Amino acid sequence: MSGIFLKKINKSFGNTLVLNNVDLEIYEGEFLTLVGPSGCGKSTLLRILAGLESSDSGEVFIGGADMTKVKPADRNLAMVFQSYALYPHLTVSENMLTPLKLRHLSTLERFPLIGPFISREKRNELTERVRKTAKILKLESFLKRKPGQLSGGQRQRAALGRAMVRNPVGFLMDEPLSNLDAALRVHMRSELSELHKALGSTFVYVTHDQAEALTMSNRLAVMMDGNILQLGKPREIYEKPSDIRVAEFIGSPKINIFSCNVIKSNQVEICGFKIQGNFQHFMDKKISIGIRPEHLSLTNDRNCIKGIIKHRENLGSDFFMHVESPNIEKRIILRVSPEEALNLQVDAKFNFNFSQKYALFFNSAGKRVEVFDPNNITNKKIA
Amino acid sequence: MNSVHKSAYWFLAPAIILMIIIFGIPIIMALGLSLTDYSLGNPGANFVGLDNYEKIFTRSSYEKMFGATFRYVLVVVPLTVGLGLGAALLINSITRFGDLYKTIYFLPVMATLMAMAIVWQIMLHPSIGEINRFLQSGCEIGWLKNLLTLSFLGFEKMDTWFGRSCEDGMPNWLGDKDYAIWVVCFIGVWQGFGFNMVLYLAGLTSVSRELYMAAEMDGAKSSWERFRLVTWPALGPTTVFVVTISCIKAFQVFDIVEAFWTRGAGPSKTAYVMMYAIFEKGIKQNLIGIGASITIIFLIFVMMITLVQRYLVEKRVHYS
Repeated sequence: MSGIFLKKINKSFGNTLVLNNVDLEIYEGEFLTLVGPSGCGKSTLLRILAGLESSDSGEVFIGGADMTKVKPADRNLAMVFQSYALYPHLTVSENMLTPLKLRHLSTLERFPLIGPFISREKRNELTERVRKTAKILKLESFLKRKPGQLSGGQRQRAALGRAMVRNPVGFLMDEPLSNLDAALRVHMRSELSELHKALGSTFVYVTHDQAEALTMSNRLAVMMDGNILQLGKPREIYEKPSDIRVAEFIGSPKINIFSCNVIKSNQVEICGFKIQGNFQHFMDKKISIGIRPEHLSLTNDRNCIKGIIKHRENLGSDFFMHVESPNIEKRIILRVSPEEALNLQVDAKFNFNFSQKYALFFNSAGKRVEVFDPNNITNKKIA
Repeated sequence: MNSVHKSAYWFLAPAIILMIIIFGIPIIMALGLSLTDYSLGNPGANFVGLDNYEKIFTRSSYEKMFGATFRYVLVVVPLTVGLGLGAALLINSITRFGDLYKTIYFLPVMATLMAMAIVWQIMLHPSIGEINRFLQSGCEIGWLKNLLTLSFLGFEKMDTWFGRSCEDGMPNWLGDKDYAIWVVCFIGVWQGFGFNMVLYLAGLTSVSRELYMAAEMDGAKSSWERFRLVTWPALGPTTVFVVTISCIKAFQVFDIVEAFWTRGAGPSKTAYVMMYAIFEKGIKQNLIGIGASITIIFLIFVMMITLVQRYLVEKRVHYS
């Protein structure tokens, strides 16, 4: 049982509260991502888990044992850093050997000159382990090079190799892909996922990039202002965000938020259109509706929501239309296919619509509320 | 292609001309003079071949010169580098009062050494100096005397330095040939290590914090292991630079010797360092020829250090 359990972790730097009573359970063998904007406390949480930072209060359990006061070296976790943190004066193979040497050789056996002499067999064994790991990561031809002579991707792999070589209980990764260029980042995403499947060990991954979080993880924890707002499977988080901040953070481009009025206990109004639902608890209160850009669709029906295109973004496979609409303060973003986009130039007027079932309702506190009868969700368009 | 070559020389010309005027010509002149018996004011000079150099390597006063210079360099360089590194590491590890300590350690570097020499001269005075008075007071406190004379380990009074000094009187620091050069070394260390500390502090700022974290994750539990794995290699380029300039500065020691002993470079010339010898021969005694040959030897030493430094920088300690 090598699950990780963080219990009531509190941490502040000076007067700023960085982590506010965070509870988190990480299952054995899962790929869990901590995602959130910068400054949300995700890296601090990871460092507390690693033991590099101490929490003000709270406990850390790794594999069932209380590790709160244990030194990082004894927690048997490996970490991959954003800057890779490879020792610049050592070759790749020496870098990968370092954690093994520090763990498996005594001080005397690490002593210069006589050390290698008295521990030759052990050293051969360790070198063999490095060689095997290097083979998995396709690093064999770079073993004799120093980090300065490697490309970003190769350094990334060397850092992974240094983490992998000692078979840790879990891998902690602190934004390991953010120093890579875009194409390599996408490539490394799939490589990391495959590595996770192959190794079967626990991965805790910190990122601010929601795409990395959605693509790689088994579960992801969305953090903001020192709290975990939602913890769940990527699809769950995307489709059923529990909080308006989660909805806004996950998904690119951002979800469209319309504020609207509850006019009857079973009806809200949005741009003059009505949505039926159970709103009896929200009478006389504000309610927000969130709709993802891909759920807004163009229509020829002139009675639908009107918009004027203010800006077009061409992504090749998709177009994002930035739209202004009467009665709505914020700009709305729509995703359309390239064919549809042909007729929509800047300043073009058009109509759009959405299906009720995609609408996410958030109360005035920002929490998502169910307004439809779960057994009777229709594909009904709003107009 | 040809025009590229020509313009290259034009671009290099200002630097090359300056180098020839400032370095090249004086060195060649010194080399020429070192082969003569020229003195200032003489209408001409005789070519004496390598006579000057022969004198330097055979006469006993020059043996003293090499002795004093190498003693000074071999003591001052390791100590200023070591203390500079130690102070930098300590200051780097504390969260408060770092600036205060930096100032304290850096003050001797900024102070005028001539003025400081006078202060030290008073402090080191055999009878009224603070240092001897302070040491003497140690002889009068029973337990402290026991501790310092190691008599609690069974040593006799006369076996230890402190015990002997208590009996026979405290040393005449500047007047005794057994102490003179070591006092100069001490002041060299006191005055020099603050500068190295600043250089090391600058070097330490470039060590990534993530590297320390990586070392900790990798199992470097003690701070010594982290120092070996992260700090020391990262300070490699700084160390090469610090050692080189410390060596060159140590070879150039002059002012403190001149200030302490205006005539004679210490008791029985025990503090007869190279720079002082150049000054004495070339300027005071107007023996330009011999002064020039000491200068050339001095240049050779400095050149060797620079070459070693360049080799190290290029071969071993240059990382990107």
